[in-house]
Amino acid sequence: MTSTEPILRAEGVEKGFHRGVPPRRRRVEVLKGANLEVRRGELVGLVGENGSGKSTLMKIVVGLLERDGGAVERSGKLGYCPQIPLLWEKLTVDEHFELFARAYELEAEAAAAQSLLDELQFERYRGYRIEELSGGTRQKLNLALALMHSPDLLLLDEPYSGFDWETYLRFWEMSERRRDEGMGILIVSHLLAERERLDRMYELREGRISGC
Amino acid sequence: MLSATLPTGAAFVREHLRTPLTLVMLIAIPAFFVLVFASVLGEFSEALGGTLASQSATAISAGWATAFLCGALAFFQVSSSRGADRRLAAAGLGPLRVASSRILAALAIGLTISAVAFVTLWLRSGIAHPLHAFAAIFAFAATYIGIGAVIGAFVKGQLEGSLLVVLVFSVDAFSDPQMTSNGLIAETPTQNAANLLVAAGGAQGSPPGDWVGAGSIALAALAVALAAFWTSARTRA
Repeated sequence: MTSTEPILRAEGVEKGFHRGVPPRRRRVEVLKGANLEVRRGELVGLVGENGSGKSTLMKIVVGLLERDGGAVERSGKLGYCPQIPLLWEKLTVDEHFELFARAYELEAEAAAAQSLLDELQFERYRGYRIEELSGGTRQKLNLALALMHSPDLLLLDEPYSGFDWETYLRFWEMSERRRDEGMGILIVSHLLAERERLDRMYELREGRISGC
Repeated sequence: MLSATLPTGAAFVREHLRTPLTLVMLIAIPAFFVLVFASVLGEFSEALGGTLASQSATAISAGWATAFLCGALAFFQVSSSRGADRRLAAAGLGPLRVASSRILAALAIGLTISAVAFVTLWLRSGIAHPLHAFAAIFAFAATYIGIGAVIGAFVKGQLEGSLLVVLVFSVDAFSDPQMTSNGLIAETPTQNAANLLVAAGGAQGSPPGDWVGAGSIALAALAVALAAFWTSARTRA
């Protein structure tokens, strides 16, 4: 199912941040020309040490963060599962599905939500507020919100933190099934134990990416 | 655009009203300001060399209660939901619709707070010109929605931001020409609204200049709030 045309291409991406306050203010260069590609029907990994800039690169690709240099091209619908679940503490699981269905302009919201609630097995929490959920259940919702509009490109930033073993295995089955259906998936992690499940893997080191 | 903005704004309102302590504060702060704080405000003004009479202090305290609550809530609307709002905007709703939903929610909460403060004032002392008084109280609300949202957009830390809201509120409240004779600050953001509220409470005519001033500042503050909500929902540099 892999196509040759990249659905995501990042070339020479650069990003730096100012840290601290004067006179201790300094600039930290996080990305120094990062390149990567993801094609349809590919499951790609991106690894790197803590603080290596993986999440920064993800945010640039999604459009949450401006880049200082380089180019990012992507096509098709995008799904993004951030490292920290970005949710509203006082709203319920169902209300989150409603909000994101509106953002995705999704008509069959109920069916999409129900399918993911079943697949990730957290249907009984749909009336719960986020503040009442465990870390693992929050992460399930975080993932479900990225998947509910069946994106062409799925970006997952440390997607299984907080998952129990069963959910972790189910996560990989879900990812492989969607990959086989043609979705391009990029999984970012500081620790990827399931390398044999990936089609390719990149490593981010000192602001640059290498294939490995 | 409204088909997405209205329900999203309603969700943002629910988000705030589901905090029991916020609901208690919506009643307790106007009650405290009008019933307790107002009685010392007149004496305090006198000590500072101001001219605020007791009845005026009661009226103006309803405005201050509204300002304080609206400023704090607008700040936390931005500060506590920045990441989730940005994610929703990136998912397709866009920063403008997220910001419009936020301003709708802020206005709905501001109207509710204004109504509570107005009723408290009415029950405490009666109001000669109720419509004028409500408009003046809402001008306090709109002004502080702008102030709270701007601070929320540019100050990331919740402690630092909330302290800044309190600082602006304190400077505004205690630098009003009716409060002090030191003349350090000639114009404060809520000065016109305060004049209107004092006049409405005391059955005096409201100067047209204060209506223009309060209305202009309120509208400008809401425009600034919309820009602040948009800034915090858009791509970061």
